[in-house]
Amino acid sequence: MLIQFSIYMNLKSPLHKIHEQLGAKFTEFAGHYMPLYYTSIKNEHLAVRRSVGLFDVSHMSNVWIEGKDAEKLLTLTTVEDASRIGEYRGQYTAILREDGTIIDDTIFLHLPEKYMLIPNAGMNETVTQWLNEKAEEFSLDAKAEDVSREFVILAIQGPKSRETLQKLTDFDLSSLKLFGCAIDKVGGIECIISRTGYTGELGYELQITPPDNAFDLFMKIIDAGKEFDIKPIGLGARDTLRLEKCFALAGNEFEGGRTPLEANLSFIINWDHEFIGKEALLKQKEEGVKERLTYLRCIEKGMPRHGYDVEKNGERVGRVSSGGLSPCLNVGIAMAYVKTEYRKVGDILNIVIRNKRLKAEIVKPPFVGKEC
Amino acid sequence: MSGEVPENLKYAKTHEWVEVKGNIARVGITDHAQSELTDIVFVEFPETGKVVKQGDEICVVESVKSVSEIYAPVSGKVVNINKELEDSPEKINQSPYEEGWLVEIDMSNPDELNNLLSAEDYKKITG
Repeated sequence: MLIQFSIYMNLKSPLHKIHEQLGAKFTEFAGHYMPLYYTSIKNEHLAVRRSVGLFDVSHMSNVWIEGKDAEKLLTLTTVEDASRIGEYRGQYTAILREDGTIIDDTIFLHLPEKYMLIPNAGMNETVTQWLNEKAEEFSLDAKAEDVSREFVILAIQGPKSRETLQKLTDFDLSSLKLFGCAIDKVGGIECIISRTGYTGELGYELQITPPDNAFDLFMKIIDAGKEFDIKPIGLGARDTLRLEKCFALAGNEFEGGRTPLEANLSFIINWDHEFIGKEALLKQKEEGVKERLTYLRCIEKGMPRHGYDVEKNGERVGRVSSGGLSPCLNVGIAMAYVKTEYRKVGDILNIVIRNKRLKAEIVKPPFVGKEC
Repeated sequence: MSGEVPENLKYAKTHEWVEVKGNIARVGITDHAQSELTDIVFVEFPETGKVVKQGDEICVVESVKSVSEIYAPVSGKVVNINKELEDSPEKINQSPYEEGWLVEIDMSNPDELNNLLSAEDYKKITG
């Protein structure tokens, strides 16, 4: 057995010391050195599904968009018409290249006079540069500024997240709808509070600046959640939680250039505005999408993983973009790009695992609903 | 952190342990290895009767996060696999030296045991 370590050249979270004290095992992810798990991926996963967990997701990026044309810049560079998203509202969207492929998926929050964009880990420079180039190209009075290193992001997720966090703030969290946001104090620290997350559970995310403010807050949230047996959660469970809900992971699901139509993200496209990549998407729609993200639930024991081939009658028909074991279902689950003609729900495909072929049924997303 | 390292076993640098009973070598992975892997969810076994050389891959252990090959610490014929693990792979995490054993090998060259590490030496490489 080989045990590998990779700690070089990676950014550490401002909360690294807390994670060490909590006994975290670390992993490298998109240039960041972050907790993989503290005790066990499975237990952390189940804590979030059944009660509450606290994540440090400071590896995610923060980009301010300011200027009189900030709304126009977002409308131009994302698949959303930003004029629809009122103040203190947020939106999950995607930034496309001219050819319709996804540069990054991101949430933006509409705050007074500016927007906070939250791109994926390691995408801060690419996204900031892209937005500034487009602002210049289209003569828009708007500027993107990468402030990723100035923020800590905490995510409190799970059915008990509201009760936990409510103990620390006078702001009425129940007034916040999905993707709503606010600026208020939590544990005495001013934060951007949003009802967002990557777990499919009730949950909140806090954007905290400067990073030092997050030290006390992290521990206050752990204390507030004690009665619910709150657990700190690493990236391992973050990955299995999102996979059960069929949420895309940028590095996996958009690898090699995928359009929102291929990635089953049509639901986030607002077609009633002009945006970069729209023309290419309309063309793809007309010509037909050749491969689409497909959801496979294994009916034999085994672990599907990123990069494995998918076959039908010995013919290669697709490739796994994300796979793993579902802690809730205790079976292997995978998302795979499969040729459109082979992705009928209920059909059986084979996932090639080393020299074996593992039967998997095509199912409708998500893999896990309310029950776990 | 080397975890528990029983004195009566021999160890491979690749984190397998061997317990010798007559000509049979029982093989598993160490406490240190299971703790690095965390949550083991699947074991792929060889066919019984398979002949292996020291250092050959004999099993694949999958955890939530990674795939790891397990190498034969001695040469011989695989005569037994731990079928219990097919339904309860977590026993490797819970009891790496007892219930979590992987395979038994009928040794073709018991002298190879001399290339393996003592508990003390294994502790040094994982310490």
